[in-house]
Parts: sequence; C-alpha cells; structure tokens
Amino acid sequence: MVDQIPTRVSALQGHLQAGHFGTADTGVVIREIRNLVLWQIAAWPDSIESVAAGTASDAGVENPPGFGKATGTESVAMLRVEPLKFWLYGAVANEQSASDAVVLDLSHSRTHLRLSGPMATTVLNSFLPLDLRESAMPVNTVASSAMHHVGVTLWRSPVGYELFVPRGFAVSIWELLYETSLQYGLTVE
Amino acid sequence: MTAVRVEQGGVVDRQSEVSFTWDNRHYSGFAGDTLASALLANGESIIGRSFKYHRPRGIMSAGVEESGAIVTVGVSHRRDANVKATTQELFPGLIAHGQNAWPNVRHDLGAVNNLMGRFFSAGFYYKTFMGIPPFEWGRKGTGIWMQYEKLIRRAAGMGRASRDPDPDHYEHGHLFCDVLVVGSGPAGLAAAGKCAEQGLDVLLVEQDFEFGGDYLNHGGSDSIKKRNDAVDALQKAGARMMQRTTAFGLYDYGVAGLLQRVTDHLPNADPHLPRQRFLTVRARHTILATGALERHYAFGNNDVPGIMNAHAAVCYLNRFGVLGGERVVITTNNDSAYATASNLAQAGAQVKLLDSRRQVPDSVAGLLNTRGIELETGTTVLNAHGRKHIKSVETAISGGNHWRRGMDEECDLLLVSGGWSPVVNLLSHRGVRPVWDSNNCCFVPAETAEPVTTAGSSLGIWGNSDCEASGLVAADSAIASLGGQSVSVSMPATGGWETPLEPLYEVEIKGVTKKSFIDPQHDVTADDVRLAHQEGFVSVEHLKRYTPLGMATDQGKMGNIIGLALMAEALGREIPEVGTTTFRPPYTPVSIGALAGRAFGAHFKPLRRTPMHDWNLQHGATMVDAGLWQRPWYFAREGETITEAYIRETETTRTSVGLCDVTSLGKIAIQGPDATEFINRVYSNAFAKLPVGKARYGIMLRDDGIVMDDGTTWRFSETDYFMTTTTAHAAKVMVWLEELLQMRWPELRVHVTTVSEQWAGVAVAGPKSRDVLAACLAEPATVSAEALPFMGVVESTLANGAPCRIARISFSGEMAFEVYVGSDYANSLMDLLYPRAMQIGGCLYGTEALGALRIEKGHVTGAELDGRVSIDDAGLGKMASETKSYIGSALRKRPELQRTDRPRLVGIFPKDRSETFKAGSILCSPDEVEGLGEGWITAVTHSPELGHWIGLGFVSGGHEAWQGKVLVAADPVRRGNMYVEVVSPHMVDPTGERMHG
Repeated sequence: MVDQIPTRVSALQGHLQAGHFGTADTGVVIREIRNLVLWQIAAWPDSIESVAAGTASDAGVENPPGFGKATGTESVAMLRVEPLKFWLYGAVANEQSASDAVVLDLSHSRTHLRLSGPMATTVLNSFLPLDLRESAMPVNTVASSAMHHVGVTLWRSPVGYELFVPRGFAVSIWELLYETSLQYGLTVE
Repeated sequence: MTAVRVEQGGVVDRQSEVSFTWDNRHYSGFAGDTLASALLANGESIIGRSFKYHRPRGIMSAGVEESGAIVTVGVSHRRDANVKATTQELFPGLIAHGQNAWPNVRHDLGAVNNLMGRFFSAGFYYKTFMGIPPFEWGRKGTGIWMQYEKLIRRAAGMGRASRDPDPDHYEHGHLFCDVLVVGSGPAGLAAAGKCAEQGLDVLLVEQDFEFGGDYLNHGGSDSIKKRNDAVDALQKAGARMMQRTTAFGLYDYGVAGLLQRVTDHLPNADPHLPRQRFLTVRARHTILATGALERHYAFGNNDVPGIMNAHAAVCYLNRFGVLGGERVVITTNNDSAYATASNLAQAGAQVKLLDSRRQVPDSVAGLLNTRGIELETGTTVLNAHGRKHIKSVETAISGGNHWRRGMDEECDLLLVSGGWSPVVNLLSHRGVRPVWDSNNCCFVPAETAEPVTTAGSSLGIWGNSDCEASGLVAADSAIASLGGQSVSVSMPATGGWETPLEPLYEVEIKGVTKKSFIDPQHDVTADDVRLAHQEGFVSVEHLKRYTPLGMATDQGKMGNIIGLALMAEALGREIPEVGTTTFRPPYTPVSIGALAGRAFGAHFKPLRRTPMHDWNLQHGATMVDAGLWQRPWYFAREGETITEAYIRETETTRTSVGLCDVTSLGKIAIQGPDATEFINRVYSNAFAKLPVGKARYGIMLRDDGIVMDDGTTWRFSETDYFMTTTTAHAAKVMVWLEELLQMRWPELRVHVTTVSEQWAGVAVAGPKSRDVLAACLAEPATVSAEALPFMGVVESTLANGAPCRIARISFSGEMAFEVYVGSDYANSLMDLLYPRAMQIGGCLYGTEALGALRIEKGHVTGAELDGRVSIDDAGLGKMASETKSYIGSALRKRPELQRTDRPRLVGIFPKDRSETFKAGSILCSPDEVEGLGEGWITAVTHSPELGHWIGLGFVSGGHEAWQGKVLVAADPVRRGNMYVEVVSPHMVDPTGERMHG
C-alpha cells in the first residue's frame, strides 16, 4: 500500500507565471487557487431543504444559500448552482443516502481563478454577458454563463470573482484573460 | 480655395500644433481638428474622387454623412480605406491619401469616365455586359460577365484594403445600464443629466471625439458653458460617458451595439490597448438623441468642390475656427440657414442668401440686416460652375410652379440647406417605420411600445432650447418606465421655425441637362431615378438596388429623401405613399476585426487540452484537432513518416502494448435511485440487470430509430453509473439526457453531470497490457483475469497512491483496459505506465493507429454513425432488445429502416491487394459507375495485420449481397477508381478471442 498521493498538476502549470504584466497600473489581479476541492451534492425536490441544511451544518456554513447564491467564506462555501444542486467548495461532501441526495467529486474538473482589482469586472465583461454591477451581482452571488463559448461558473466571493473554468479549456481562457488584462496592468499572484 | 483659419474662436487647442501628411505633402493643424477641418484650413479643395465618374469631390459636410471627402488613412498593413475625413480625428503623424484615383485625386486619369458619363446611367453594366453574347445566340454570358466584372470592379468603387494581416487587436465587451443615451447634444445631455440626477445608472455614448453635439457648432461661450456644465454634472452624478463610441445598431430587448474607437486617434498607442471595442449594451431604457442631418437638393453640378451643407460651414467656423470661403452663397428653403449666414458674415465673409421661398417675414429676414448680407427670395441655385473648385453659380428664379434662369453669382463657397432629416436609423432597426411630417418635410420616428424614447432634433425638433426641453421629457419617460415618479410635461412641438419650410428636392429647367446628384457618394443622379422609374423599378426597394442609392457606407443618409421625392413625383404620388427604405445596422461601418474581437488566430475557437497534453508533446506527439480537442495523432520517431509511425504503433499494440490518451471521450455521471431505469430507457440494449462492477457496451437511438451514439456504461453501485460517449457526441448526449429527465421523465430521481473534465483516461491495449497495468497498481492482483474479467470495472489505487478507475474494455480488439484518474494526476499516471510499457517494447499511440486498430475490428465511430445509420445498418441489430421499450424502439421498426437492401456496414478490400482506395469513395456496381451508387466508404487504413489496405463502408444489402462480387470504389472528385471486394466488417480476430483472452 502507499501512504501518499502524488502532487496535483494544474492545467495552467507552465502557462501561468507570477509577476506583473502589461501597463504599470494594477487594474487586475489574478490568482490561481490550486488543489481545488469541489464536491457536488444533488438532491431531490422533497429532500433539498434537509440536505441543504445538513450540508451547511457539516461544512460549518451558517445557512444554505438560495438559488444563484453562495454562503460561507472564501475558504469554505456552499454554492447553489442549480435548483437541486449545490457545490461544496473547500470541503469534502459526506456520503448521502441516494434517496436523499447523490454526491460527486468535481475537484479535478475545474480550474479556479480568482480575479480582483478595479478593472476585474471590465475584464470579465469582455467575455461574460452577465450584469456584474453591484446592484445585480452583489457579493455571494453565483452565476453560470459562457466565456468564449465555454460554460463557466462565476461566484462573487468576499475577496473577488471566483471563476471556475472547465479544466480542458483553462489554458485557452487564461490566455484570453491575460491578453485582455494587459491594458489595465495585470498582477499574477 | 480661400478657406482660412480665423484668428480666434473654435474649440480646437491652438497651443497644440499637429503635423500630418496628406497625399505625401506635410501639413499642420491643431489638436481638436478633424482631418477635414485641417485640410480645409490648409486650403485643400479636392479630397476625393467619385465612385463612378471620378469627379473631383471636396468636403461636403462635417459629419458621418460625408459623401465627398472619403479617404484612406494609414499605410501598409494599417491602411484603412473609406474613412470619412470629416470624422477622422487629427493626430500627430497621421498619414492620409486620396483614393479611387490615379495618380492622385487632384489629377485623376479615371476622370475620363466623366466624359462618357452619359453612357454610364443606372444599370449600365448589367444591361451592357450581361447581355454579351446576346441570349438569342443561345449561349449563356455568365462566364464572360465574371471576367468583365473584375475589370469593372477595379475601375469603380472605393479604396483598397490592405492585403496584409491586421496587426491590431480588437475586443468585445458587455455593458449594462438603466438608461442608455445615444448622442450628447442638447437633448442627450439634458436627458442623461436628469436621469443621473434621479440616481439611475446612465451610459451616455457619443460618436464624436467631443461631447456636446450641436453645442459645439454655435459661436460664443454660452453654448460651450452649457456643454461643460452638463458634462461636469454628469460626471459628478456618476454617469458613464463614452466618446468616440457609435451606437451602430439597436436590437431586441434593449440591446444596442456599440463600436468604441480606442486607439484610432492615438499616434503611438499602447500596444496592449485594443484598436476598437465591439460592445453589447443591455439597457432597461434607451433615449435616442441622435440629431438630424441637413439635406442638400439636386441642381446642376451640385458636387463641385466648394459646395457643402450650410450647417457644416457653421461647424467649421465655430468649432474648428475655419472660415470656408470669402464669397459665400447660401441657398436654402428654410429658416435654419439665416443664422448660418449671420455667423459667416460676422466672421468676415461676404454672404449672399438665396431663399427659394418667395415670402420671408421681416423677423427672419431681419437677422441679416445688420450684417450686410444680401437676401434674394424666390431664388435658388440652378447650376454650379467650376472644374476643381466652385467659381460661380447660376441662379434660378421662382415662377410659381416652374423655374426660370436668373443671374450668375461669383462665389468660392456654396452652402446648401434643403431641410433636415432626423436620424431615425436606430429606431428603424427595431422595425419601427418612420412617419412623414409634411410640415417639416422629413420622416420622424413613429410611436413604439418598446422602452425607447426619442428626443431632440432626431424627433424633428429644431431649436436647441426645445431640444433641451425634449431631453428632459425623454428623461421623465425613462424614469417613469423604470418605476420612478413621472412628471407630466409635454414634449415640445416638432419643427420650431418661424416660417414653414418649402419643399425643394430638385431645381431644373426644361431642356437643360446637367448632372445633379442626389446621392453623391454613389454618383446617383436625379436622371438615374427617372430612368429607373421609366424601366419599371417603381418600388423604393427596387430603386435602391437598381441604382446604388443609399447603399454602402452612406446607408441613405444623404440621398434617400430626394430619391423618394423624385420617385413620388414620377409616380404622381405623395412621398409617404412611396414609402421609405428600411434602415438596417450598422449606422456607420464596423470593422471586421471588431466583429471578430479576440476570436481569431489561435483563439478562433477555444482549444481544449487533455490533462496530459503537455506530457504528450514532450513525448513526441504530433497533435490533431478532434472537434475542440487536440489529441495525439501519432508519435513519430526520428525520421519516421506519419504512415510509418502509425503502422509501427498499430503493430506494437497488436503484439505488445500501446498507451493512448482517451481523455476526450465524453464522460457522464448518472446517479440516483432511478438511474438503472433511466439508462435502460435510453439504451437500445438491456441494462436493467447490469451487475455492479461491470460495464456494458450500449447503443442509444434517436426518437426516429437512427443511431445517436455508442459507448460503455460502468456500474459502481446500485445508484451510481459512469457513462462514456464518443468524443464527437459528448455534449450532444449530455444535453439529450438532461432533456429527457427534464421534459419527458421528470418523475425519475436521477441526476446527470458531465465529468469529462474530472477524469483523465488512458487506454492500455495489447497482449501485454495487463502486465504493464498491474505493475502500476498498488495492488497488482486487481487486474488479474479472475479479479477483472472482460467488461469488469473496479475502483483502485495506482502505485503512486492516486485513486483510479479501471475497466477491462477494448476498442482495439486486443486485451485492453481503460484507466481513469483525477485529471490533476494524469501526468503521474503516464509517468507510471510509460516506462513500464517501454521496458517491454511497448509504445504510445495516437488517433491514426487508434483508427487502424478499430477499422481492422469493424468498430464504428462517428464516421459511420453519421445520422443516417440504423442499428441494423451498423450490424448491431441483434443487440437491440425486442422486449423492452426504449427511445427509438418503435420507429426503428418502421418499414424504411427494415428494408433488407439498405446500405449495411461492410469491410472492404482492394481487389488487387497492393492497391489503395480513399475514404469518401462511392461504391458502384462495375456496370454503372455513376450517380449515388450502391454505397460509400467511411474509413480506410493500411492493416499491418493483413498486410494490405482495408476499409469500412456501407453497401446496399451488406456483405451477403455482394460476397464474391466486385465493386468499383469511384472517386470522381479526386479522380481514381479502384476495384474492391466486400468482406465482413470484422476483418481481424472476428471471434474476439484476443480481447476476451
């Protein structure tokens, strides 16, 4: 038997380098959050409330979120991505009885980028047809959308925009975000 | 030309001199100039050559409606053709050239066309050249026309675009706002200001590089102060304001298209900036304050350089500090030109005003008294004289319902005001047809139920004070529609002149033929319209297509109303009865680069990489596109060709072991208490009793009984399945399963989730595959023949500790396993498998070898399952259940799909085994090598196992019908017919001993 598991290799390894790029300003800060832990909990109409409450309690999240919302912190959070589906970010989901819910590990399926800075909204809106104004997308709002034809999930967390990109498209999307951010000054952390 | 820069005035920055080049000559202007104003100030008169006749053209306006000063800006790969000098902001180092002329616009040999102009009437090219040779000869002239067309296109037309790749980049963007205000003139600023005051999120866009619209065109500090105050107030209120941004189109649900010109005015732009942005705005309410364009009218030689719209002269004087001439004649039919005359006279010009109206009240005429301006009423211009610049005009005197020739007047600038046309284009994009305002002789916007309000002169309101008031009313309307409190104030009345405008579209005297242009940009004359009518083109839409009236970059801005008026006259109808053409986006041209945004080159489509993409490249992969994915095509060793490489890879896999990245297969988690029932309904074969720990090959049909996709589905628990699909149909199957659950069987407690990105997959195939895989597992016995028989699945752990899933399934026909790990562990999986495979003489293989292996086995893929093939056609009919109901079970039984002579899957050998044939060939009976034949070939390869070329395809009746017979593989496109034989599609190991072994 083996005691260790190998180091996870990000889709952006060798593509994303830390540093400052483009103009001297710091309009955009992008950071890849590696070793993503992301589980899906999918319940049924008659079990969604109890599953949500139980998941929130297990994860230490104060309240389960409503649809299109998130609760928790930037470290551990629940995201309501579909009417019957939650994403548990930052923690492993507990097993469930299939009559209540099914759980699924999606930790390797997405590349997680955090965008912040005064021009982060503008850069995202260069691709995303989402109303990201504070009035329409306050902190802890979650939305599914498309970026350069690729389905992505966006969560506005307390510390920035958390962008979840399908892993296979991560390099393409990263290159586009990078190229677009240069005009505003990009810091890659 | 006697245009001069006056000593003071205007909003240009006289402290900031700007050098530029026009037609290889160096000039200077000021910051804040347009190219047109700077050329005017430098005394340049001929700026362009006309479309068809190559007539010299000067500056005719001061805005987007320009029809004369159309130039090419930039050089080499940054050459931008058909730029209107009147909208091009001057910047240091700007290089511009005349176009559609040789050697230059001042001396153009193409002007010979003008001498033959009488032959070049509307439809000339079609009538003359399309009829050669005459149709009566029974030969079609299309081929010859295609040759003529090239010459004609070279002789006519506009500027030439660079053939080099565009060095700039462009981007897209999305904006959201409560209120979008288009136009920053008096109405737009007032509307935006009031909305912003009310706390609404306002986006104000202005196509010019200065905010202010008509405020900029009025002398004196009051207008500029009003503009500055309004702009300051908007900024303080937090409104977003974008100049150099054109709202080029208005679309459904409050969507507007914007083109923002980011660097077109910058001499040394930051290379990180995009040249232009193509922005999509979603606004809850839109206020259109797009202004109005001054019309000209048709008279002889009304295109001579030195003739421009009256208001343009005011703009050049008051905004740019350029007086367009010393001896000015203004010809008008309305009150607006009186202020123009007054302004020019005050600046020192000698002005004569000709008003076609016979009566003008003293209150209007009195504006001129103190300026020494001569006024002649009941008089207009009949003809202009001057070859390269206007020298004099021939006047016409009103005789009631006709004109008679008057005196000549010398001048160096002729200003024309034939009335004003509100810019109704954007509302027209919404399908709102404008209505005719007979008082003001113009089309005005009709009512619309959409959240769009029009204000200012785009509504037909002429005075700036009234425009401001209308802006406030429009703001009220927007505020009310967004739930705010409505203030009941009525919109100012349209018009606003003291005396009514008198319609004037053309001045002609019977028997006197002169070229009088109604659309100077396309050389469409008044006679062309009459000719079109004479030849039966009476509909406005036909007129537009027979003559190029209002086409291309003009889009009907200048000539539409006159064209309509002349057609109405010819038909004996009123203008509104003739109708108007529908304005369509874009209002002004949008570059192709802006439409593309960043989606070009490497980013034309998103590239999808497998988790071992870089690993594959490091190990010698040549990649190939498979949909959006890039997959290893082959792994050539030094000196190997692709053929040598794939044959080696195929042979190695058949005799030893091969490793292939199969991550691109679609993967779907199917979970829930009803998952078994769901899968059993989706697949045509039985799945209800698939044991846990087993996989099964499944075929799903469409409702119509045709095969949709195939793949394997693995069962990990009573409620947990893992379905694989083909690479090509992964997304389609996922959507299909979601649709079934949401629309047809919502009672099933099943969730489907794509996990294509979660898992990286490798096929380990070949007789030594078990040895290699076992050595890479924490528990090697996991994959023993007993523990993992054919079609068994297991969750296990790699020797490096990474969790994995293994299925003993085979696409190659050899004993094989598919191994999946979390995508971030993909490289570590390859690092385990590869050295062990290499130790025993194994290899990596790509899609080319994968194809060879599967063709030898007769395994179908997307090439065969092309949407026409039934499960019986694919030779898999025996798998389909006869006892259960599943998607497609009823319609697969329809007679058409049960015909025994339908094309069925077969294997194909060349009759002469040393020959090859091509995929896509049509299979024909040797006695009838034509038409659709008996079938087709879907895939070909060299078979290392058989030692010759083989293929898969479909042929009527299948293998049994053609056994022992010869067919022709016809390839009419690529030339090369070949005799072939039909065999069973299972060409290698037909009993499957190897994969079961």
